[in-house]
Amino acid sequence: MTEVKSWTTRRDAKRERLAHAGSLLDGKFAQTEDVVALLEHLIKPGDKVVLEGDNQKQASFLSQALVRVDQARVHDLHMIMSSVSRPEHLDLFEKGIAKKLDFSFAGPQSTRISQMISDHKLEVGDIHTYLELFARLFIDLIPNVVLVAADKVDRDGNLYTGFNTEETPTIVEAAAFKDGIVIVQANEIVDKVPRVDIPADWVDVVIPADEPYQLEALFTRDPQNITELQILMGMMAIRGIYEKHNVQSVNHGIGFNTAAIELLLPTYGEKLGLKGKIVPNWELNPTPTLIPAIESGWVKSIHSFGGEVGMEKYIAARPDVFFVGPDGTMRSNRALGQVAGQYAVDMFIGSTLQIDQFGNSSTVTSGRLSGFGGAPNMGSNPTGRRHSTPAWQSLRPAGDPLGKGQKLVVQMVETFGANKKPVFVDHLDAEEVQKEAGLANVPVMIYSEDTTHIVTEEGIAYLYKTDSMAERKAAIEAIAGVTPMGLRSNAQQLADLRARGIVALPEDLGVKRGQAKRSLLAAQSLQDIVEWSKGLYNPPAKFRSWS
Amino acid sequence: MKNSFVELNARQRAFALVDAGTGRELVGALDYMISPHLMPQGIVPESDDGVVLVKGKVADKNVVIISIEGKFQGGGIGEVSGAKIVAALEQALHDNENGIEVYPVIILDTGGVRLQEANYGLLSISEIHNMVVALKKYVPVIGLVPGKVGSFGGMSITAAILSYLITTNRARVALNGPEVIEQEAGVREFDSSDKDLIWNTLGTQQRVQTGIADEIVADDVTALKDALTAAILEKKEAHRTEKVDFFLSLLDKVDFSKPLNPQEYRKLYRENVAQPHQIAEARSTDQAGTPSRGRAWFEALTGIKNAQTNVSTVLDATVDGKTYIAIVPDANNNLFPRVKNGEVGLKEGFAVAAVVNRVVAEDADKAEKRPIVLVVDVPSQAYGYKEELMGIHIALASSAAAYAKARQAGHPVISFIPGDAVSGGFLAHGLQSNRMIALADESITIQAMSKASAARITQRTIAELEEATKHVPAMAYDIFNYQKLGALYKLVEGIASNDPSPANVAQIEKLIDEAITSAQDDRTLHFRYENPVAKASGRKATLAMRQAVADQW
Amino acid sequence: MEKLTFEFKNSQKVTKAVHVGVVASGDLEVLVYPTDKQVTSLEITTGSDGFKEVWGNVLQRFFDRYPLLADFKINDFGATPGVVNLRLTQAMEALKDEE
Repeated sequence: MTEVKSWTTRRDAKRERLAHAGSLLDGKFAQTEDVVALLEHLIKPGDKVVLEGDNQKQASFLSQALVRVDQARVHDLHMIMSSVSRPEHLDLFEKGIAKKLDFSFAGPQSTRISQMISDHKLEVGDIHTYLELFARLFIDLIPNVVLVAADKVDRDGNLYTGFNTEETPTIVEAAAFKDGIVIVQANEIVDKVPRVDIPADWVDVVIPADEPYQLEALFTRDPQNITELQILMGMMAIRGIYEKHNVQSVNHGIGFNTAAIELLLPTYGEKLGLKGKIVPNWELNPTPTLIPAIESGWVKSIHSFGGEVGMEKYIAARPDVFFVGPDGTMRSNRALGQVAGQYAVDMFIGSTLQIDQFGNSSTVTSGRLSGFGGAPNMGSNPTGRRHSTPAWQSLRPAGDPLGKGQKLVVQMVETFGANKKPVFVDHLDAEEVQKEAGLANVPVMIYSEDTTHIVTEEGIAYLYKTDSMAERKAAIEAIAGVTPMGLRSNAQQLADLRARGIVALPEDLGVKRGQAKRSLLAAQSLQDIVEWSKGLYNPPAKFRSWS
Repeated sequence: MKNSFVELNARQRAFALVDAGTGRELVGALDYMISPHLMPQGIVPESDDGVVLVKGKVADKNVVIISIEGKFQGGGIGEVSGAKIVAALEQALHDNENGIEVYPVIILDTGGVRLQEANYGLLSISEIHNMVVALKKYVPVIGLVPGKVGSFGGMSITAAILSYLITTNRARVALNGPEVIEQEAGVREFDSSDKDLIWNTLGTQQRVQTGIADEIVADDVTALKDALTAAILEKKEAHRTEKVDFFLSLLDKVDFSKPLNPQEYRKLYRENVAQPHQIAEARSTDQAGTPSRGRAWFEALTGIKNAQTNVSTVLDATVDGKTYIAIVPDANNNLFPRVKNGEVGLKEGFAVAAVVNRVVAEDADKAEKRPIVLVVDVPSQAYGYKEELMGIHIALASSAAAYAKARQAGHPVISFIPGDAVSGGFLAHGLQSNRMIALADESITIQAMSKASAARITQRTIAELEEATKHVPAMAYDIFNYQKLGALYKLVEGIASNDPSPANVAQIEKLIDEAITSAQDDRTLHFRYENPVAKASGRKATLAMRQAVADQW
Repeated sequence: MEKLTFEFKNSQKVTKAVHVGVVASGDLEVLVYPTDKQVTSLEITTGSDGFKEVWGNVLQRFFDRYPLLADFKINDFGATPGVVNLRLTQAMEALKDEE
């Protein structure tokens, strides 16, 4: 006789841990002050732990507790985090509570994480896009414990995650159906949640937080900081890309460049007669700068990865446009948003810090390992795409019977950054960072092969039209201004590229430089946007510049 | 869509206000009269030094628009830009005196004094105050505060003296910015990171409810022009600096030891009724006041021992036909915790104004006007949240305007400076005199801003600031450098500031009498430009600008 | 702060003086004066040190396209080459408007 193999080891382990923590629990509910003891009971050395935190929402109460656990009891954790945002996220590694890290984005902590990797204070599994990291939660990074945040929790443990649902359901699902433990910090315990975003069955432990989870207004761009050059580039993009390719669906990367486009649609776009003809459908966080376009009837639908502080009332009042539950509040979903942004939009347009001679781009600059977030998913051509749209087809190469369309991936940059450093460089800083951090690949954000257009204040390079790398390089040089790369271009090359439609200057697009004035923006301040929203948008105090 | 006025630059604003086709710019960018003080300090200049003058018509009336560029050096006033404003106002005054009606309009978008040439900025601003007071006898002088900078520092005092203030809700008006108050009085006094608090306190929505601004209009060119046209045609005048009794009565009701929020203050302001306030003449008492150079010299010059009035920080006395006025410290000033070291606060500004107004009224029918002698020892203005909430700049403006009126009415106004003369305190009590006598004493500080605040605002250490200013009269902190500007009537050698001995007092009295004689037929501040030091070096750029404006007027 | 001077051999005589721009953060002003000289001269005062070569390149490109013969004064408070080019172009357009 052979020994009977148990097929419920994970379930048994989970049951045992919850039983062990029994004295701290009343049903699913624990006391705020017991949080550290609770984590010490429920987490074991070496566990794979997901700590919720993206670039907006942070399970800050739980992260502050985790860093206070007894390292003798809880150590060598394998942390899985979308975003390394808060100082204690890295303190975990300094203290030996955690050892290994798989992550996507480390914007606010990019310098420190870079240093800690070279000091061998943390071991990096890999750097991912959001979607990749979510995917691995179901394959080879299945969590033992997940630590997440909810707005409201009812007495049964049903969660309301509301506007900032973001990635909570994805994380919880990976644990709840594979016998991981789901621990939720709650802003508020209520008798009845406005709607159930995550059912109580999926939740093991609820603990009221001492203060609401951290939430950053990351996607708010104050129009008063939009420059004339950004407006010029926006005008070129609208004429030379949106209109030319008949773009119907789009994801805007965050930044003042794309904010300028959003604010030009109801003015410049309207004058061009494009209303109703371009970009009705959006995958986008609810950026306040899109309000004038929405109010002017440009926008049919917006699906969002996350919420945005101050947009709550406005969104609730515009359910035809946003995804809003029957309770009247928005629901976001990062995983589905990433899928939509990758597969269902005609175009991604965003900004970057460096573009190399071949057209590869990265936001990783020396000494700063910022990771990827979602940009590589948005900014790539999904080769698995099969459905067709006019914009997608417009990039189909001629002469190939099996050819297909391509997603428009547009980079929009001023040739020199605000620090007067050239954005166009022969080699990305990311190449150095790869060596310093011992990464398997150079952390390129968007590869040349995926980049179809580059817009600068000089003009547009239609890279998808180039036939060779040499031509691609020449097209980039032609719009790289007086950067060292741009100086390699000469008048004759430029004339040739213009004649063949590979490069367009403002005059080729019918864009007058003198028209690029701030008065062309539909809103010149956040206060104007409040007015556009009919008082429904309520900007955070830090943006206040009026009485 | 609205046509934003705030978005426009200074030149566009000026031309946007005058009737189409009527605008003519004076001493414009192409004349290239730049500040001589910026490049030596490593600062890039601007061709118009940040002030644009445009003559034109509004509703068929002659106007001169004086537009300050808030985007260049925060709209700070330096020698050239200050002289440009003063010269334009003076030309307008001259026209009005000669029966040609000209309405001056000032677009304020300024942090006040330009720190790199702080001493000139302070002098210029006092000269602006003088001109506005003189012009108001003929026409209203309208102010526009559109934002985004607003109107701060010495130029908030200007804002208070102006006839009528039109604003948008993008602007703030205050003497001290929140950063400066936090620097001087701590984060608990005013948290400069709390934007809601800042806008609710200093923003124009609050200010129009509490007499600091007169009107808010939408940020739209037409709306601002309409408001300006109405103000000119109706000759609007708020009489802001003539409400001394009203504010002294209001001060009686505010407990400065307790918090006061903007809403509560609105209510107090609304319900306040002006009661007459008399500031008594100083008399001798048994109780010595808090010692200071100013008090010592006041008592020595007037012969009043342990002088006291019914305001613990203001001394005034008429002796031998001269009225002496001093602002002094009161270490036990429990009513105003931010005024213990001789600062000029709300009470001080209004009380001094009351004294000067009384003197002018008493002499109104006399052919010979009584000299007024200011004993100047003011370390600064008061830095406090409630001071800003109530509009301390109106208090300072009230005393500055009172001195200017007295001088313009024929009172010789003489400053004797045995102590510090700093910033808003000096504007309120000192800079409206046309003869200034100072002691050549190293302990005397003259400046527009305390070193700590100046260092913070210009992002330098105090040591760096001291090194940078040591050899630059434009922003020096000592009386010797100050003299190089030509601003002083006399710098008196050999008398220590803390030594009012009978012999020293006799010498100073003699100099004061000489100054009075010298000022007898001079109701202007021209002495500052016309003395040999000023002509040779101190005010060369000022004089060049005055000439240019006169030529192009 | 740095003072730079440049000369270019240009051909298109400018007949009027113009001014554009404000010395605001990240911005600049450009003044163009007619000249009797045979070369275009530029006096540049810039708040960002160490960019002489970049200035030279921006100006070369601009004058290749619009060979304005004039005296230029430029006061720059940290403008990027893109903004410099924009203001130069605006100055050129202002000259056209007045002709």
